[in-house]
Amino acid sequence: MTATSQSLVDSLKEYVIKSYTMKPNRVVIEVEASKVREVFVKLAEVLGKESFYLSTIEGTDFPEKKLIRIDYFINLFKLDTNLVLRAYLPRENPIIPSVIDLVPGALAGELETHDLLGIIFEGNTYLRRSFFVPEDISSKGIYPLRKDSGV
Amino acid sequence: MFELVEATHLIEIPLTVEIPVGPQHPALHEPLLLKLHADGERVIKVDVITGYNHRGIEKFAEKNTFYRDIFIVGRVCGICNAVHANCYVRALEYILDVDPPPRAKYLRVLAMELERIHSHMLILAVNAELAGYETLFMYLMKDREYVMKAKEILTGQRVLADYMMVGGVRRDVDEVKKSRILDIVQRVEGRVRYYHSVFREDATINKRLRDTGRIKQVDALANSLVGPVVRGSGVKTDARAHDKYDAYNEIPFNVITEDYGDSYARAMVRFGELYESINMVKYILTHLPQGNPVPDERKLPRRFPEGESYATVEAPRGELTYYVSSSGSDKPYRVKIRTPSLNNIVNSTFAYVDQMIADVPIILGSFDPCISCMERAVITDLRRGVKYQIPLKVLGGVKK
Amino acid sequence: MERVKIIRYSPWLVHFNTGACNGCDIEVLASITPHYDPERFGVRLAPSVRHGDVLVVTGVVTKKAAERLKRLYEQMPEPKFVVAVGACALTGGVFQGSYPVVGGADKVVKVDVYVPGCPPRPEAILEGIIKLLKKLEGGDGDESKPG
Repeated sequence: MTATSQSLVDSLKEYVIKSYTMKPNRVVIEVEASKVREVFVKLAEVLGKESFYLSTIEGTDFPEKKLIRIDYFINLFKLDTNLVLRAYLPRENPIIPSVIDLVPGALAGELETHDLLGIIFEGNTYLRRSFFVPEDISSKGIYPLRKDSGV
Repeated sequence: MFELVEATHLIEIPLTVEIPVGPQHPALHEPLLLKLHADGERVIKVDVITGYNHRGIEKFAEKNTFYRDIFIVGRVCGICNAVHANCYVRALEYILDVDPPPRAKYLRVLAMELERIHSHMLILAVNAELAGYETLFMYLMKDREYVMKAKEILTGQRVLADYMMVGGVRRDVDEVKKSRILDIVQRVEGRVRYYHSVFREDATINKRLRDTGRIKQVDALANSLVGPVVRGSGVKTDARAHDKYDAYNEIPFNVITEDYGDSYARAMVRFGELYESINMVKYILTHLPQGNPVPDERKLPRRFPEGESYATVEAPRGELTYYVSSSGSDKPYRVKIRTPSLNNIVNSTFAYVDQMIADVPIILGSFDPCISCMERAVITDLRRGVKYQIPLKVLGGVKK
Repeated sequence: MERVKIIRYSPWLVHFNTGACNGCDIEVLASITPHYDPERFGVRLAPSVRHGDVLVVTGVVTKKAAERLKRLYEQMPEPKFVVAVGACALTGGVFQGSYPVVGGADKVVKVDVYVPGCPPRPEAILEGIIKLLKKLEGGDGDESKPG
């Protein structure tokens, strides 16, 4: 990691469970799902609100580990770095607090991840099924991106 | 602050939005429905309804091999297909730790910059048409045809380039092709200067585009808007300058920003980027390194090692991101595409509030959704319970 | 075939995107610009679906859009014809088999002319429309044969 990435990880170290690099040079920090909101508040404090934005929210299903993984990709454009916040949720009950009051730009990603994977973002009143997925699949309660969805 | 009023009209505007990933994006590639709640002429609230263009590409990509996905992913968005394919191929190259030769990197940038030129000319033409200036639309589309010819000379196809491959590009250029592309770009540059002066001086365009859909810098960042939309509000962010992928660390260019944040500022950012792209194309054609840019596809591995990577690219509409994860087989475990239009269209409903209804198509056009088919708007008069349809251009105040 | 003489001289197009990548759509848009001059055949984009004669369908028909395609087709007045443009509108293109995709416009409406390509060139799209007109005149759409 570069010097700036290392100091970034250090300033967040009370939340970091593990940290490593994702190719080509992205900094990944694994945190508790319940602490994701606090990390966003800390980032705004340390770096200032006008020097980063939330770029992407992505979820992946790991049925054999019984976990669903959620990643928040944050573009720290003033530092030329991308930070990845990674959290693991139990597959039977994937609930995580929503961040749309802190970062309104999370709306698009949370709506998409809920409709395709079934992660529930507590506090997001806009969540609904069939945002993208057609009715005949969402009415059966199927989340297409899960590995056992059968579509 | 606004006073709370009861809405008197409900206006539903169905549009098609591609997401290159969506560009397309994966960004939502959907025909989109914007429900505007209006009081008289003023917009109070906006709902977004999507799903018409969802093709299930992320799930589909897990069922095909890594190499087939290069061609599937190019068809997420026809307008920005080169950047989609490029971002996916670079994500694969990061997993494999492969570095393409310099000539291939320059040719990739050439294809992507030609695409930026044609895409910006298209959306500027659509902006002019929405403002009522149909003649300017026809003029811009005619000059855009020369750029499509240049794309055909370089990649073999007008629209879908299918040009990128792991380890390089799929065809080379020779001296004849280089000189033809250079001629075309020099001719187009003169025309772009003329259109820039039209946009600056014409009364219709100035009246329609200035002061509509003004977005402040702090709102643009908090809502994760990307591309010319956020650069028109004064934020200097461009994936080409931050990530410096392919040959962008060697080719000189500037990141264009404007401060005011209205539709006119976004159009001016696009003109600035047009000049930068034309200069980049001229630089590439005169400084192309020697070598063989075409990889031997028979030597590429069928199974990929375990790993994951995250690649970003600056599509004409904004930052496009790909996350690819491999679990050691010949098919990807997860492909995540976040197209710029996803963020720009779903998160930008705040920009319509307190604007006139007639300005809504102008603001939407300045966000540059991949709109191919602007459909009709359905207006429900809530007081009388009556529904009627009008074309989107009439909603924008253009008399037919 | 009295009724088709009405549209033979000036068919107005209605363009509908049922979930495409926009590649075919920008080629349809390009085909109505001065470079290809469709107005010499009387071809232009209709201002409303009620004025349309020829429905140009692009895109792999997604399940949500299939219902709207059917309703749009029913709203067009007779005589009406359908041209399917692009590999996706023919059979679903590369997206055949994906979960939200019906695949092919002819599963929803009756198609008269198929224009293959990914995307087809604007000249090919115009040729498809001209073949439709020639077919209606009583020929079989093949211009190389006399008459």
